[in-house]
Amino acid sequence: AADKINLIPQDFFAELCEQIIQHLNHKIPGVDIAELCQRIQASGIDINVGELAKLANAVSFLFSTAARNNLSTEDLVATLGSAATALPKHAVQVIRHVWNEQGKSVSASEDARSMATVGQFVDMKWKLGVAMSSDTCRSLKYPYVTVTLKVADPSGQITNKSFEMTIPQFKNFFRQFKEMAAVLETV
Amino acid sequence: MAAVQEREFAALQTLLKAPSKDAVRQLCRECFSSPPAGLGPLAQRACPALAAGPEKAEKLVSALHSLTRHVVYCGLTKGEDILALFPENFHQNLKNLLTKIILENISAWRSEAQASQISLPRLVDMDWRVDIKTSSDSISRMAVPTCLLQLKIQEDVALCGNSPVVSALTVELSKETLDTMLEGLGRIRDQLSAVANK
Repeated sequence: AADKINLIPQDFFAELCEQIIQHLNHKIPGVDIAELCQRIQASGIDINVGELAKLANAVSFLFSTAARNNLSTEDLVATLGSAATALPKHAVQVIRHVWNEQGKSVSASEDARSMATVGQFVDMKWKLGVAMSSDTCRSLKYPYVTVTLKVADPSGQITNKSFEMTIPQFKNFFRQFKEMAAVLETV
Repeated sequence: MAAVQEREFAALQTLLKAPSKDAVRQLCRECFSSPPAGLGPLAQRACPALAAGPEKAEKLVSALHSLTRHVVYCGLTKGEDILALFPENFHQNLKNLLTKIILENISAWRSEAQASQISLPRLVDMDWRVDIKTSSDSISRMAVPTCLLQLKIQEDVALCGNSPVVSALTVELSKETLDTMLEGLGRIRDQLSAVANK
């Protein structure tokens, strides 16, 4: 992960660290790696989602370990300096700044959400479409619903899962959610 | 989907040696459902029943596949339209039999074509549960209701062929996130009603 840090410009790295620390502070449900990676790639940098995810994990581990050991900013920077592979200067600067500003509030905070063992639902995007024609049927007129769920996995990374439903499936889907909501009201 | 060629209709004549009408029926279904790659093995299996050599069997199977897929592609539903596909001097009885078989199966075939067209992964099942979190190693007492939802999603059928890959996505929703979901779903429902009324 250390060698990939060299590729990422300071402002993107700062954004990544900001998201990570906000996630550790339970201010946001997770880090949207895919979205950030897209923007980094759009600016011409050759990095893929897997590499960015590894880097995010490493930084997240760094911050949470530092929190557990109650490291001050100077201690953290000193630890980084003595690490086997030296981080580029701009990365150390970013880490120092982010830790200084928000490091103190990262703790084993009393929050029901920190007991996440499955992905947390973040958001849903949808599209209603009609398939007009395909290689098997010239005239289809087949309506369907496409849904993309944004889910934050326990490590805090946000992934997208997209799938399609037929209209009857969608109606059943909706009905089930209304039932869930009704049950939640009563407990 | 190209029109059925003259030589393909000629190949269909091999069906005259079929043991029974049901055998023809069965073969038609198998030829429609088989992907192009499966036609070779299908022809080999059909050889003995048709008392035809491998080459003739292959040409027949390929022609039947072509004909049935063409009918579904064009969306033909009337007997006269299907009859009109055959060349003038085609064997009368065989033409009528094939048309009858096609008409019997056309709507099931259309559904099959729709189900196997390219698409994003499809939702195949969903299960849910409502839990109350009562305590954890960091908080001794709480009463937080939470929903656990498991969605079973099947990857694109066209890519998986005969062994579909189903993945399970387990997601936790709080009351707030469930409300977000419901709001989104409600809007889809409104859109559907608007489109249906047009």
